[in-house]
Amino acid sequence: MRRAIALIALLVLAAPASAFAHASVRATQPSYKQRLEQAPRTAWVRFDQGVKALSNSIVVVDSDGRVVSGSTRSGADPHLMLTTLKRLPKGAYTVRWHAISSDGHVVSGVWTFGVGVAAPPPTEAYGASGPTRTEHVVRWAYFLGLMLLVGGLGFRLLIVRRPLPPRAESRFYKLTGLGVIAVLEVGILAFLLRAEDALQLPFGRLLYGDLSPIASGTRFGTAFIAMTLGFALVSALLYLAWLVEREVLLWAAFAVALVFASGLSLSGHSAADAGSSWKSELADWVHLSAACLWLGGLVQLALVVWPLAPELRREAFLRYARLAPVLIAVLVAAGLYLSVLRLPHLSDLWTESYGQVLLVKLGLVSVALAWGGMHHKIAVPLVERGHPIVGKLSRSLLGEASVGMAVLLAAAVLVDSKPPPQPVPKPTQAVTVSP
Amino acid sequence: MPPAEHVHWMFATGFLLLGLFLLAEVIAGEEVWQRRAWRPYLWPSFLFLMGVLMWPVMTFFTNSTIHMVAHGSWAQVMMFAGAAELGLVKGKLHSPLWRLATPFAFLVSGVAFLVHEQNPWLFQRSSFLHHLLGWTMVVGAVFPFARAWRPNWAVANAGIAIVFVFVSLALFSDRDLAPVFGRLSPLAGEPHR
Repeated sequence: MRRAIALIALLVLAAPASAFAHASVRATQPSYKQRLEQAPRTAWVRFDQGVKALSNSIVVVDSDGRVVSGSTRSGADPHLMLTTLKRLPKGAYTVRWHAISSDGHVVSGVWTFGVGVAAPPPTEAYGASGPTRTEHVVRWAYFLGLMLLVGGLGFRLLIVRRPLPPRAESRFYKLTGLGVIAVLEVGILAFLLRAEDALQLPFGRLLYGDLSPIASGTRFGTAFIAMTLGFALVSALLYLAWLVEREVLLWAAFAVALVFASGLSLSGHSAADAGSSWKSELADWVHLSAACLWLGGLVQLALVVWPLAPELRREAFLRYARLAPVLIAVLVAAGLYLSVLRLPHLSDLWTESYGQVLLVKLGLVSVALAWGGMHHKIAVPLVERGHPIVGKLSRSLLGEASVGMAVLLAAAVLVDSKPPPQPVPKPTQAVTVSP
Repeated sequence: MPPAEHVHWMFATGFLLLGLFLLAEVIAGEEVWQRRAWRPYLWPSFLFLMGVLMWPVMTFFTNSTIHMVAHGSWAQVMMFAGAAELGLVKGKLHSPLWRLATPFAFLVSGVAFLVHEQNPWLFQRSSFLHHLLGWTMVVGAVFPFARAWRPNWAVANAGIAIVFVFVSLALFSDRDLAPVFGRLSPLAGEPHR
């Protein structure tokens, strides 16, 4: 049986079933996200290799999904395929294309352009359905990874401030290492899911889908590139810190991780929606960073210090208890600012789906704050006195952290939801002054 | 962005250096090579660095999903193998099982080459090179695998070095669209660069 499997694997690798080619786009007309003042008469795609065009190889639709293109034909140049367009009124348009390479392989892509208006990003092309439940879970996993990484590093550098005992140090590195690997892997998965939705392709064809309009033409894609590079650097710094036992590398990893976490704030609602400004971007980043430090610190206390460094429990817990209220105050203040910005009316909290998710999140935050308050009022005096029950505190810390993780799930759904539209300001009345 | 082949040539230089470091160790002998404390760190740290440098390739060359995934897998396995070898040299990792990280990286890299390029061997030069590189890495995994059981065996170390030099030569031979042995499939397109 094993021999048969090995033989099959060998044959699959040795003899690809069919010849696939990777025809890549060299240029398009209109170009990606181009805003045109005059309607184009044709749309075309030029490849680096000869391709075969079918009659529906290029389909252009308006924002209501009406097809505005004619049948596609190959140009005199086999690298080119083009279609004629109807007279396009002002509006946003989506171009979906697929081409058959001469050897039978299909390459696909999507892009957008606007006539008299700005083009939407390709992730909002006609046909894209927006974030799904899978994307909510993936974003949640991303937040959890960020929490383990940023919170773990912050705890080690700001709370513990010295080397941990060897077993505790080893677990600290395992947890933060898990965090950075999760951020990298989940980030790639999140990007591919968003690309799949924009391209509207089954998995087999997505493998040869052109991702460049999404990678280079959207805030999401730019954030993906920057954050992947940033967190790859963090993974290297974290590994080197473990290898050579130099704390300065941990500081570098912490700083780079905090800086690149801002990619989420610079590509989400706080940067893209109406009413956003540098203040909303900053508030979002502060909100996210404070949440990561608060929850990641709890995880480190419960899983590293309590079981593996009992001699540090008192010192670490009391320092954490001094920092946590500051983090929570910052987190709540930034969160309230962002809520007011995104929900202009109080009634939006129960009438809009975004507001309803926010209410769930606020409810969970209240539970977490009550739990934290209980730790502050009851556990802190016990820890100060060195009461024996302190040994069992790790479960309660994990409980608070679990509620915090549920808050992150609500935050993930919230990030993927659409806030209600901002009220349009009334135009200023022109005042006529008689001479 | 630089053309893809230029990026391949940069990594070819990296693999050539890797191979030469390992060959130097085999030729000079382990005792001589380790007279300088930094030398044992040379090739693993270089492999780790090449893994870090592969991430920009992964993020900036996104003309197809499979390209992105393949480059991402190379970035990760090169960092993983380099990190494991560095940990062993430094004495931070003790289990000999960590030595399996390098053959694992060879296997994953080879399979990524083969899956990534699905044209037949003689379709064009880059297809030929992808197949060649893929099979070199898959078959060449036998050397780091042997080294996992006999770390000081010169044949295994020389084998790894030769695989790296071979990979480097193959990457240096890359041109974007070019014939191989005078043959170019009419389906591949016009030669350029």
